[in-house]
Amino acid sequence: MFSRRQFLGLPVLLAAGRALAFGDQARFTFAQVRHAGRWDPRPDGLSRLAWEIAKRTSIETSPVVKAIGFADPELFYYPLAVLSSDSGFPAPAENEIAELRRYLSYGGFLLVDDASGARGGPFEQSARLLVSRIVPGAQLARIPREHVVYKSFYLLDGPAGRVAATPDLEGLELGGRVAVLYSGNDLVGALARDALGAWEFEVSPGGELQREKCIRLGVNIAMYALCLDYKEDQVHIPFIMKRRRI
Amino acid sequence: MSSTAYNAWRITSLSTLPAWVLALALTTLAAAVWLSFRGFRSEPAGLRRRALLGFRLLAALLILILLFEPGIELRSESRVRARIALLFDTSRSMKFPASPAGPSRAEEMIRWSQAHKRDLAQLASRFQVDVYGFDKELQPMDLARLSADPQGPSTDVLNALTGAAAAGTGGRPLAGLFVATDGADNAELSEGVSQTATAELHKLNAPVFALPIGAQALKDLAVEKIAVDDFAFVRNQVTVDVTVTARGFGSTDVPVVLKREGQVVAQKAVRVGGDQARYDVKLAFVPDRTGKFAFTVSVPVYEGEALAQNNQKSFVLKVIRDRVRVLLVVGRPSWDVRFLRQLLKRDPNVDLISFFILRTPGDDPHSSQDELSLIPFPTQEIFQEQLKTFDLVIFQNFNHRPYRMSQYLDGIAAYVRDGGAFAMIGGDQSFSAGDYASTPIEEILPVTLFPPGPTALDETPVQLHLTDSGKRHPVTELATNGPQNESAWSRLPKLPGVNTTGPLKGGSQVLLSSSEGRPVLVVGEAGRGRVLALLSDSSWYWSFVAAGQQQGPRAYETFWHSAIRWLVRDPALTPMRVASERPAFEPGSEPPALDVQVRGSDYGAAAGAQIAVVESSADDPVPRPAGAAVAGPDGNARIVLPPLPPGAYKATVTARRPDGSAVGEAEDAFVVAPSSRELIEATPRPDLLQAIASATRGRVVDPGDSLTNLPWRDPERVEVGQRTSVPLWDNWKVLVLLCLVVGMEWTLRRRWGYA
Repeated sequence: MFSRRQFLGLPVLLAAGRALAFGDQARFTFAQVRHAGRWDPRPDGLSRLAWEIAKRTSIETSPVVKAIGFADPELFYYPLAVLSSDSGFPAPAENEIAELRRYLSYGGFLLVDDASGARGGPFEQSARLLVSRIVPGAQLARIPREHVVYKSFYLLDGPAGRVAATPDLEGLELGGRVAVLYSGNDLVGALARDALGAWEFEVSPGGELQREKCIRLGVNIAMYALCLDYKEDQVHIPFIMKRRRI
Repeated sequence: MSSTAYNAWRITSLSTLPAWVLALALTTLAAAVWLSFRGFRSEPAGLRRRALLGFRLLAALLILILLFEPGIELRSESRVRARIALLFDTSRSMKFPASPAGPSRAEEMIRWSQAHKRDLAQLASRFQVDVYGFDKELQPMDLARLSADPQGPSTDVLNALTGAAAAGTGGRPLAGLFVATDGADNAELSEGVSQTATAELHKLNAPVFALPIGAQALKDLAVEKIAVDDFAFVRNQVTVDVTVTARGFGSTDVPVVLKREGQVVAQKAVRVGGDQARYDVKLAFVPDRTGKFAFTVSVPVYEGEALAQNNQKSFVLKVIRDRVRVLLVVGRPSWDVRFLRQLLKRDPNVDLISFFILRTPGDDPHSSQDELSLIPFPTQEIFQEQLKTFDLVIFQNFNHRPYRMSQYLDGIAAYVRDGGAFAMIGGDQSFSAGDYASTPIEEILPVTLFPPGPTALDETPVQLHLTDSGKRHPVTELATNGPQNESAWSRLPKLPGVNTTGPLKGGSQVLLSSSEGRPVLVVGEAGRGRVLALLSDSSWYWSFVAAGQQQGPRAYETFWHSAIRWLVRDPALTPMRVASERPAFEPGSEPPALDVQVRGSDYGAAAGAQIAVVESSADDPVPRPAGAAVAGPDGNARIVLPPLPPGAYKATVTARRPDGSAVGEAEDAFVVAPSSRELIEATPRPDLLQAIASATRGRVVDPGDSLTNLPWRDPERVEVGQRTSVPLWDNWKVLVLLCLVVGMEWTLRRRWGYA
């Protein structure tokens, strides 16, 4: 069995390099949902997160973010979609809701990020209304701290974002997995950079450590979307429990 | 009636008074004598004292005579000869040798009966001698026709004894029973003489004299009983409960060995010797593959043993799969990985163990190891220690090089050739791109590879095309109707590219290709294992993307379920099936028969297929032709094998379609073994006979003992025919004498001054 030292000493072997996958479609690509409101409040944020994921994990990512409508047939080429805004958005049409329901039911994952960072603000209201229409009567529920999304790659103790407006992530489960994940703290905003490469927004109240935590949460969300409950497999449990105690 | 009709007499009482009246009178008379004596015991003159006592006693005697009315009973008596029952064992165990390499027990018994002819004749002059044969039942027998080839199906000594005791005619008393047997009881007394059996023996009310046959071949070791379930789950421990009997052994460590078709799978030593005869041994093993297997439990044959045939026992065990255990090794998280894992995790028939490479050595997580949930990749544990516990190993876009796995690739290839299953799923780290060329993995793949390079991947979108092989193969059967099946595949979304390979290997089949002929899905066999190569990392398109095109994920789910079932050889997806008529056949009675079912290339009935059978045994693994047949219109055939000696067998059936193409191969296991305990628990049991004799106050007889000298009980019985009674002293003289005696006593008492 590999020791930790051996495991960490493997980079020499990585010199074999990575070949390209079968085009960009085989790479992990964020889709940004184009709705009738301000659908792209953090234009650079998801690209930056994709870059961080590629740099930190074995996931191959595409820096391109695909802007796509609710009812666009191409949506199904992108199993992870991000819905964001810093303000409320008009309610989608019924056919769009039906497509979104279909998307989520067959395995799609929707990250809903409130760029306003205002608890109970217009975006949050729009998002909650949307969820209640996807699954009639359903509501977002608190994601417990033991959930695999907090340990899918990094061991995290809670949510993070540009601001600390909400203490927890919330989600909607379909078929035993979280299909809709709601972040009320402007997670993507913490990763956005300006044209000169500087951070676009200050993060508060935790400063740069909080920004790092945001990156880690973004990595974990992507890892959860791709691996689901892999880290709940029995083989991982003793390792994770030991490190949680450290 | 003249007195000459009576030949015996006895004194009796003819009184009609009740017994209590007589008892009261007797007491009163005794009291009267005593009171009288008390009155004159101080009399100084001895003559007077004796005279008074004598008259009083005489008077009391005369009163008793009057009350009891004594008489003589005259009887006409006759004497009846008692009977003895001679029982001879006619069960099949008597065909075994009486001594190592000696005559059979039946022959030994015949020899004894001939040597004791005179003895028996003398016995017949004193007793009525009833002769019986016994096995499962008791039946009268002519001793002269004692067979050297007994056929009794079982031995029931107690039933024979009680039956013989109750079978007497004319009410003759039973003077005793004589039983000649090996004592190999397999009924009530098989476990010894129980309390119930002892009570039954007491009811015989006659001694049992037992002649043990074959006692000189007492030493024997036998596998008496095996208890095991009819089926077991692969990779789950199976416990076989074995009962070994050992008689005539000193303290000896005996190895008890369990073999699967000649290969030892478990063994344990048991110490035998002393008074104990039965020993329970638990043999445990873990079956590592599914199928039907013949197992044999054996103990060594020691010198001087009565029987060698019972030193081993075979059984058939069907090993089934509770869940398909799948090892999924993933080089990198991707949507292809995510959808396959989700599918396998949801399948209740799959036990999924997965390992994902979440971080390569070149990735920089900006954290310490303790802040990560990552675990080391346990290559040695998975690929060396646990490999054989998996039914299927899947490499999904996984490059072995960074993980120093070259040392394990040989083992993986051997695992597949030994019956395992392997699937490689494409991507930029698979096949040639994963540097598997010239490795043991390439040897088992159905495609050839080349060193990694820019040509390892072809990113031209692929429109799926179902090949001729694919149209017939169960893995690519999305619909039972051929055109619908083709249509279902052609409607699926285009794949973004494929891994390129070299030429296909012989025996492999391309099931899916691009419209230009580039292979997409290839299957083949390696040794006894099956291999699948999916040269794409985008089969998830058949699920999620197809769902977006209003097709739903059914094609994806059906494809992977079928692929896994085919890879692990699900019986429902094999073109041939064979099943023995029964798991065990009786030797010498009926030859084993096999039912064979052959399917055509379209998985329909293969009418006219040529079927051939070879059989091999655990003792002789070299296959021998055992039969042939032609499949009927329904694709079925029954093949009757030649008679086989006892043992564990494997039948391997092959078939060719009428066009000469091979259909495949199927196996089944069966045993040929006696089912009767009579031939298994055949060890002589002189100890049992000793216990029977002791319980009935009889004894064990030596072959040289004379029957006439045995302590038979009650040789005769007296029966009374007629009887009559003649009264004694029933006349006036007794009454007069009583008056004279009483008067004389009264007179003397008055004269001598007594009141």
